[in-house]
Amino acid sequence: MTPLGIYIHIPFCNSKCAYCDFYSRCGTKNEYNEYTEALINHILEAQMRSSDYVVDTIYFGGGTPTAIGEKNLIKILAAVYRSFRVDDGCEITCEANPNSVTLRGLKKLRRAGFDRISFGMQSADASELRVLGRTHTFEDVKTAVEWARKAKFSNISLDLMYGLPSQSIESFLDSLDAAIGLMPEHISCYSLKLEEGTPLAERPETLFLPSDDEQADMYLAAVTRLRDEGYEQYEISNFAKEGKLSRHNMKYWTLGEYWGFGPSAHSLVGRKRFSYIRDTALYIDAMHTHGEVIDRIETINDSGRCGEYLMLGLRTAAGISGDVLEKKYLTYFDEIEKVLLKYHKTGHTDFDGHNWRLTPEGFLISNRIIGDALDALEESEHLVRPLNGYIRKD
Amino acid sequence: MAKKENIRNFCIIAHIDHGKSTLADRLLEHCNAVTEREMENQLLDDMDLERERGITIKARAVRLDYLADDGETYVLNLIDTPGHVDFNYEVSRSLAACEGALLVVDASQGIEAQTLANTYLAIEHDLEVLPVINKIDLPSADPERVKGEIEDIIGIPADEAPAISAKMGINIHDVLEYAVKYIPAPKGSEKDPLRAIIFDSRYDSYRGVIVYLRVMEGEIRPGMKIKLMASGAEFEVVETGYMLPRGEKKTDVLSAGEVGFFTASIKNVTDTQVGDTVTGYDNPASEPLPGYRTVRPMVFSGVYPADGAKYPDLRDALDKLKLNDASLTYEPESSAALGFGFRCGFLGLLHMEVIQERLEREYNLDLITTAPSVIYKVKKTDGEILQITNPLNYPNPSEIEWAEEPFVAASIISPTEYIGNIMELCQERRGEYKDTKYLDQTRVELHYNLPLNEIIYDFFDALKSKTRGYASLDYELSGYRKSDLVKLDILLNGDPVDALSFIVHSEKAYARARRLAEKLKEHIPRQLFEIPIQATIGSKIIARETVKALRKDVLAKCYGGDITRKKKLLEKQKEGKKRMRNLGSVEVPQDAFMAVLKLDE
Repeated sequence: MTPLGIYIHIPFCNSKCAYCDFYSRCGTKNEYNEYTEALINHILEAQMRSSDYVVDTIYFGGGTPTAIGEKNLIKILAAVYRSFRVDDGCEITCEANPNSVTLRGLKKLRRAGFDRISFGMQSADASELRVLGRTHTFEDVKTAVEWARKAKFSNISLDLMYGLPSQSIESFLDSLDAAIGLMPEHISCYSLKLEEGTPLAERPETLFLPSDDEQADMYLAAVTRLRDEGYEQYEISNFAKEGKLSRHNMKYWTLGEYWGFGPSAHSLVGRKRFSYIRDTALYIDAMHTHGEVIDRIETINDSGRCGEYLMLGLRTAAGISGDVLEKKYLTYFDEIEKVLLKYHKTGHTDFDGHNWRLTPEGFLISNRIIGDALDALEESEHLVRPLNGYIRKD
Repeated sequence: MAKKENIRNFCIIAHIDHGKSTLADRLLEHCNAVTEREMENQLLDDMDLERERGITIKARAVRLDYLADDGETYVLNLIDTPGHVDFNYEVSRSLAACEGALLVVDASQGIEAQTLANTYLAIEHDLEVLPVINKIDLPSADPERVKGEIEDIIGIPADEAPAISAKMGINIHDVLEYAVKYIPAPKGSEKDPLRAIIFDSRYDSYRGVIVYLRVMEGEIRPGMKIKLMASGAEFEVVETGYMLPRGEKKTDVLSAGEVGFFTASIKNVTDTQVGDTVTGYDNPASEPLPGYRTVRPMVFSGVYPADGAKYPDLRDALDKLKLNDASLTYEPESSAALGFGFRCGFLGLLHMEVIQERLEREYNLDLITTAPSVIYKVKKTDGEILQITNPLNYPNPSEIEWAEEPFVAASIISPTEYIGNIMELCQERRGEYKDTKYLDQTRVELHYNLPLNEIIYDFFDALKSKTRGYASLDYELSGYRKSDLVKLDILLNGDPVDALSFIVHSEKAYARARRLAEKLKEHIPRQLFEIPIQATIGSKIIARETVKALRKDVLAKCYGGDITRKKKLLEKQKEGKKRMRNLGSVEVPQDAFMAVLKLDE
């Protein structure tokens, strides 16, 4: 049986952050219930396909999952259990805002089987939080983590952001230290990206954003600091204490299969990548009428799969292996290796005798390196190297 | 054959946008030369580009039959003239084919520099210049003021000038009567040996070159052997005829006074230069018609295909354009940065733009062009004199005894309020002030001597923006002057980029070098290592910028397993990469080469 991750999208938030372009909005209690019902229908419908799989990760993301209330979240989780075979050691994560949880609610979630909680902390600096449109304070984060511990969560993650308006490297490191001080098992560190159509992107020249160089310095300082504190980097933006990496997120980067439910949720099931329509009302409606919910669908062929292995694998600290490319994807590796070697000279890649990976400096320019590697892959596509054979183009 | 006393050969002179083509269309319509159904606006301008830019690039002629109020039928030959300073010579040859000119003046704008230049040209050719006041339908029209202006400035009577609106079709009849009444019939006897002036030619893949001409004396018939007096080429005439607004009519003969065409299985327009005199092979005229000169390109630029593999396509396209455009010159050149291309010579900036646009549109080529250059004359210390059109061939400073650059006499007409701005601009472009002439209380004509190489760098754009579009410019080459010129080279990461070198006056070198380095910095993306951009004269660095090493280009999040964004981003990146040129170790986007052509933006 194939392992499967389940993603549940909750497209609601109590307030919209200034940088966010994900699909979410504020709802009413009634809508929350309606939506929960629609999701449950959808999950039960998936039963037809579920017999091939064993679910080993479940992830509630958003939006703010806790916005719809713990009761609804637990009902949805129960539906997953009814529809799928769920592994005993299944990792079950819920995202939450630091000021959207209560001790009672957290306890309920924990009892229902949630074992991992991820708080959007973003910064410890009050004015930075204000610019982002976050409604919580660092005090809220502290309290939320305390409560989560009381509720017996032994796997807590905090999200941080760098490259914020007016942020200095010092203030960023202060936030990082504040986060480390709360002793979470996992820390994610994302750079702020201005997304078109968000309030923050309207007048970028007025934001005093740190330069690319300053942002690079922040990132590298964070990598060092986290390593010193025992957080191992396992992906561009993700760091974890030993054994605490997000197994669900790892699926995205290692071509593991996952099925996302809810509007705008993305899936990789078998060879198909698909996503559902973005509009919540239409999504709910489609669940009632058995209408069309697919927004986009694409079947990934062998070479597409190999490209994804390169593109996603190079995001991880494990990196990619020439052996896998040649033996699993039957792809000629030499051209790609040349690219990686070129970046090795500038300190952007590393080779351990088996795997090629990007260094932290390399992660910072990963778009460039991955782009070059994919071009090399495209150029090698007409070259064939059968298993154990050494037929060269010359 | 038409009665000679009933022939009227004339052209229309107007500033861009003053309505020349619209008037031509109305005249055609009025003579029932075209039915309304056939009427497509502006029949005479048949190139897309001409229609878009509102200018005529190539001259053409049509013959109309007009039944006048006096009961006589007149033959009207309307010869269109190119409407831009770059094509001054072609204008003059078109004028030489006429006895009269309709001078179209916008009833609200009044006279402009180009109108004046072409009017003087017409007067020089002894043409009867008949003013026509157009656009009287506009609320701001003031025909009486404009008539006064014509009399004061040009000194020709304007009291009988028809006030018309070509657009609305008002008073078109008056224009035709006026033309028939005042334009003299052609002189010249059909008994004399043949002399005809070529004013245009066009290549047709079935018939060879179609030569447009005006017969001054004698006759030309199919089967006759002819000779071109300047080029010395000889041909046997295959067909003669004249053009109708739609199609053409073949004739047995074209006689003195008539305007038409002939074909003679001519393979190349270079054999039939505009201005050349056609005469009989057996009974030649003793003297050619006056005024012929070879057209020489004034502005040069390297033209390269963006995709090196398209070089043969570019060559074919230039070959084809050349069939119709004797003034275009090109020869192969190669650049370390841009690969194989051509050094092309153009009459002027507009001609250059037109050719580049035609190459891109009609031949679907993606081009990179280098900064335009003029012809510099350099005397080397060993006595050799060089004519330099490509900065790469500029000798070392130590080998130069003197260098000269071409100057133009420029005339700028503008409302008086912009005098200060114009003077400032001309000053800044190393202009030498000659004089100011007040045309009336509100308008002024400024005369400057300007180096041509200052005009070819966005002078038009600067003039327009400094006068809110009101000023008009005309210029002609006035000769060469000694000048303190230097060659500026650009080094990227220590390596010279040949395609970016240019020749500049030493006083301008620092400012331009600085601006160029800044502009390149804006356009060259950060790469794995730091890239110094240096501008040098000889071995001396006069400007420097640095493109810092790339440190951050990352998509932080693959949210909820959505990898489509990431894929899109990588595709976009790939598109960008295709537009890069590898210069040694540095990747330079193609638009960087184009951006340095527009330093003032």
